[in-house]
Amino acid sequence: MPDLLHRYGPDLLTGFGMTLFTWALGTLLGFALGFAIELLRRFGPKRLAWPIRAYVEFIRGTPFLVQLFVLYYGGPLIGLRLDALPAGVLGLTIYGSAYFTEILRAGFDAVPKGQIEAARAMGFTDGVIVRRIMVPVMMVSALPALVNFAIILTKETVILSMITVPEIMFQTQTMMSETFAFVEPILILALFFWGFVEVISRLGRRLERRFTHYLLERS
Amino acid sequence: MTTLSSSPAAASMRKVNKYYGTFHALRDVDLDIPPGKVTCLIGPSGSGKSTLLRCLNFLEDYDSGEVRIDDQLIGYETPGGRRMSARRLREMRRDIGMVFQQFNLWPHMTALQNVAEGLERVRGFSRPEAEVRAREALAKVGLADKEANHPSRLSGGQQQRVAIARAIAMQPRIMLFDEPTSALDPELVGEVLGVMKQLASEGMTMVVVTHEMGFAAHVADRVVFMERGEIVAVGSPREVFHDAADPRLQSFLQGYRERNSLEF
Repeated sequence: MPDLLHRYGPDLLTGFGMTLFTWALGTLLGFALGFAIELLRRFGPKRLAWPIRAYVEFIRGTPFLVQLFVLYYGGPLIGLRLDALPAGVLGLTIYGSAYFTEILRAGFDAVPKGQIEAARAMGFTDGVIVRRIMVPVMMVSALPALVNFAIILTKETVILSMITVPEIMFQTQTMMSETFAFVEPILILALFFWGFVEVISRLGRRLERRFTHYLLERS
Repeated sequence: MTTLSSSPAAASMRKVNKYYGTFHALRDVDLDIPPGKVTCLIGPSGSGKSTLLRCLNFLEDYDSGEVRIDDQLIGYETPGGRRMSARRLREMRRDIGMVFQQFNLWPHMTALQNVAEGLERVRGFSRPEAEVRAREALAKVGLADKEANHPSRLSGGQQQRVAIARAIAMQPRIMLFDEPTSALDPELVGEVLGVMKQLASEGMTMVVVTHEMGFAAHVADRVVFMERGEIVAVGSPREVFHDAADPRLQSFLQGYRERNSLEF
């Protein structure tokens, strides 16, 4: 074991780093795209409603691995030639956006209409209403689901190994095939994800407290 | 009945019609809101009082007719024409204050932030200036000591007073009240009506949808009785409450008196 770690330590570290990087970027961009889609659905022209629905349902209705293959191997057919890493991050972004959009839709729907109406009646612009009222109010109900999905995405990143992104699963598999050691690499992988998710949960709870502090005040 | 139209109306409606699907919510409504006076809208639920009120700031669109605020058509560019731009509608709404039955304060902001927000984002004051004005408005409704409280830590009556402060801080030319005391526990109604009376005594133009007949009788300059989307009677409180001739109005008032005498 110490011998294995000595030999594969650097590769595993690179893998950890790559996993963190693809997750962070994919989640961030996926959230941003999901948010933009939701705003478009809510404030944009009505004729976009159907295509948006189709997009969301297609992404949610097909396996992530399939989407990734379509993007990576099918992309060149339409002139979209991407390296493994950008293809992986783009895949995560698209995959995440469909789910984030749905979480945000439910969150925005839960904002009491009257609070938005009060702002409209005072002459607020839509932008200010979204930024100053809808988002902070929506976050109270949507944040747990958003964090939960971000956690699910950590584990979806292992699928990027299938298109040769050198993340932790890819490194682990290389290590397994070269050394025929199975238990150690898989154990390291599992512990890594466990710790990783633990950190995100904690950050998530801290974020939740920030958005709900006014509900926790003692009267 | 009385004519209070010596000066031009603060708001007016001409032949306003409104449908929800096939339901005819407002039928050929004609109404002038006299400036500096309190106009109370009464009538059974579903009679169109709130719909009428919400047409005045175009929270509800109307299907035909004209609604004017200070002689400016609201909602459409020309009578029966195209919708007015969102920007123009926002400009008009800045001068129309509204208070809702459910208060509709923003739960993540303190009382002070609730009042200062519009001053900063809509009126364009700097944050410090907005807060100074917000404090003045809160003091006016008797809540200077509650500025740091979030709505969840205020009673219903206090929340509604913050909502009134939020509206008056914007220095509107007209104030709309949509059943402002209907969601309150009975013992909290008085503090809200008190603030409204004070506002009335300062000459604010007010339109109040209410079930508080006492308030209508004592504070209103003008009472409008509606039923089934129509204005059935308009007049001074005395004319409407005591000299009511219309049988629908009589039966409404009769019902109200019976309910209130049965309470004890």
